[in-house]
Amino acid sequence: MERICNRIFLGILLAVVLAVPAGVALWGRHQTTAYYENRALAQLPEVTAQALLDGSFGTEAESWYADHIPGRTTLLMLDTFVQMDVLRRPVVNDTVVGGDVLVPFLSFKEWTAADYAANAGPISQDYGHLSDYVEENGGTLYFVGIPEQRIYFEDTFPDYLNNHATEAEAADSIFFAALKEQGVSCIDMGAIYDAQGHPDTYYSAVDHHYNYYGAYAAYRAILETLEEDGWDLPVLTEEDLTFEELPNPYIGSRNRKLYNLWPNEDKAIIATQKDPVAFTRTDEGEPSDKPLFILPAAEDLPTTYNLYMGGDFGETVLETHRPELPDVLIVGDSFTNALETLLYASFDETRILDLRHYTQCSLKDYIGQYQPDIVLCVQNDTFYYTTTGNGAVWTD
Amino acid sequence: MAFHSMVFLYGFLPAVILCYFLLPARWRTGRNCILLIFSLGFYAWGGIWALPVLLASCAVNCLAGLGCAPGRPWGRAVYWCGVGVNIAALAYYKYTGFFLENLQALGMEVTIPSIVLPAGISFFTFQAVAYLTDVRRGTIPPERNPGKLTLFMVFFPQLLQGPILRYGAFAPALDDRRENSSAAAQGATRFCFGLAKKVLLADALGTIADAAFSSGDRLTVALAWLGAIAYSLQLYFDFSGYTDMAIGLGRIFGLPIPENFCYPYAAVSVTDFWRRWHQTLSFWFRDYVYIPLGGNRCSRRRQVVNLAAVWLLTGLWHGAAWTFVLWGGYYALLLMGEKFLWGRGLARLPMPVRRLYAVLAAVVGWVIFRSADLAQAGAMLQGMFGFAPGGLWSGEAAYYLLQFRWELLVAIPACLPVKVWLEEQLRRGAEQGRRLQAVVLALGPKVLVFGLLGWSSVRLLSSTFRSFLYFQF
Repeated sequence: MERICNRIFLGILLAVVLAVPAGVALWGRHQTTAYYENRALAQLPEVTAQALLDGSFGTEAESWYADHIPGRTTLLMLDTFVQMDVLRRPVVNDTVVGGDVLVPFLSFKEWTAADYAANAGPISQDYGHLSDYVEENGGTLYFVGIPEQRIYFEDTFPDYLNNHATEAEAADSIFFAALKEQGVSCIDMGAIYDAQGHPDTYYSAVDHHYNYYGAYAAYRAILETLEEDGWDLPVLTEEDLTFEELPNPYIGSRNRKLYNLWPNEDKAIIATQKDPVAFTRTDEGEPSDKPLFILPAAEDLPTTYNLYMGGDFGETVLETHRPELPDVLIVGDSFTNALETLLYASFDETRILDLRHYTQCSLKDYIGQYQPDIVLCVQNDTFYYTTTGNGAVWTD
Repeated sequence: MAFHSMVFLYGFLPAVILCYFLLPARWRTGRNCILLIFSLGFYAWGGIWALPVLLASCAVNCLAGLGCAPGRPWGRAVYWCGVGVNIAALAYYKYTGFFLENLQALGMEVTIPSIVLPAGISFFTFQAVAYLTDVRRGTIPPERNPGKLTLFMVFFPQLLQGPILRYGAFAPALDDRRENSSAAAQGATRFCFGLAKKVLLADALGTIADAAFSSGDRLTVALAWLGAIAYSLQLYFDFSGYTDMAIGLGRIFGLPIPENFCYPYAAVSVTDFWRRWHQTLSFWFRDYVYIPLGGNRCSRRRQVVNLAAVWLLTGLWHGAAWTFVLWGGYYALLLMGEKFLWGRGLARLPMPVRRLYAVLAAVVGWVIFRSADLAQAGAMLQGMFGFAPGGLWSGEAAYYLLQFRWELLVAIPACLPVKVWLEEQLRRGAEQGRRLQAVVLALGPKVLVFGLLGWSSVRLLSSTFRSFLYFQF
């Protein structure tokens, strides 16, 4: 009996360990992306003498194999469920799951104010150079700082975790002070949101961006600043817009890390213009018929923040063919996407650059070429001190 | 290749098992060849560059073994040459950088070359020295078949992290062994339990240890203790998990791999701890260093020197750093203390006090062992004993306790002989005719295997890869 039992046990175990390579060969190897992890799967490495000699072939092959295990996404989803709902860990997949909103798990290590002060100088000098250059080309530069969701909801972190609130406050104030010293006009949306009562409704509970209400508040704050500076621009008021909560499930970047398993009622919001401002659009230099909001085909299909303008592009140009209005250049990452759907209506030509993806020329050359009347550098506050991507604003 | 990689679990392992068992059992040499080829492939997976070092070691020891047997002309010289070549290779790869760094620290202008350590060199070198010594002593005959000696040196389950084999115990099974379903089932079960120890416990606990040891000015008393305890548990489950996997694989192929651990955190003294922790290394030092130096059968002063020498070498074997030297010295002092000063008094204390003493001594030792340098060791120990820059308690400590509470709750009883006690209870119940207990005893571990293998695999997919801790030694 024991012998039979052992043989059955060994047979099943062998079948299990053989099923995996068979599954990889039949199905797994065809997959190329991991949607929930927001990354491309590892590629099968090339067999070269050097790779075999130094062991890099083995390392890369292990990554490829682990990435292409059949049912990998389902297994990881199951693991996330167990970690979150059975073991009830406070942090799952680097996301804090205990509160009313999802925020990222942050390192306990903090930068000091002195660290920020040391970095703020050279970075603000770059913005100073850029501001001077924009002025030389007949325009004005504005820096628009927007709090990231984790900063906006810093009070929702459990007491035992580090929300970096003190650090963020110091970093922001040092940065804006340095920009002002360089003569750069600044719009600090953190302060503006606070003055408006810091409404919870401005930000998503499951995504690192603001939602459309937060974007609209930013839009109004930008236009008020421009008006104060003498620009006479048409404004989309609340009466001009119909705000609408989409019925579709909304997959935010934070909940995406949790395989969308965190229960929530968050919905994507859009605002349609009652009297729409017509536009033509080009993306990456090619004519595009994409609308301002890319809506799912059915109500039960999920949507993401990418619904605004269809996500990130290196360069997008929106023309409203109203030469009496000024031209604007918006530089920034995905935080600009929701803003763009509103801002374009106040300008003749709206050029949008995401320097993470735009590689054709430097921002300086781009400004020299198109000479926009207004340049808006839109950054979320976790990227104020970055000097790459959209932080690479100046090259001599 | 690591045992806890998908390529090993779901590629290499089924391949070697299929190739091995598809050959008829009577083709013993063929089966040994399969193991040899796969073992060399296993080693080469990490980079073919290291393979010549391993093969050269095998060749040198095979020839030296033939030449150093008792009665052979120049046998003694050949033996010492063989041992010298082994130690020189180990010294070159492992200690050159350390030696030159210290010369540099003394103000000498030296260039420190970048030398990559061939994986497992500490283990296969010690096995080779043991083989030559046993041959020289006449305990075992020299092996004339280079294939068998090479398989002994490179057998993949123990190649990278031991346990340290002895040829006398291993060689008979190369010619005469009987693989059977009972041993294979036991081996597979042990392998999966070892995998779970590594992946589900050690890796999670390692996160706490890493955080505590790198906390710097944030270190609190609570975090220091949590980190020290977590590292002590991590090291145990990491290394004993690997050992379980090695022993399990050995059983599947019918080859004996010795035990390496016997619930070390249940020890009643430091001396007892070292009878239970990394037993094959302790036995190696006892048989090939301590006893040849005179062991206990000499003056007290000589015994002190012998103990100090053994523990200095033990420390250095684990790594080329002053923290390892300090760690060896720490144990030398404790063992001398137990031998000559407080050992008898300790034996009269109540058992819980003795166990607490032993486990505290081990935890403090692991703090020295884990620290990147003497300054970090000092900071951690100061923190543990009340002088932490961050005070008594911090949110960071609370977070790690909360986040890894399940691992801590399972790890603490699992490092004590609770399993032995449980098995005994079930066995007793089964003998008394209780069917449920008999079923649990017979099928429980086998059912658990599937859960542990599945869960470990999923955790491997979702977590950053962490190599075995003893891999670096």
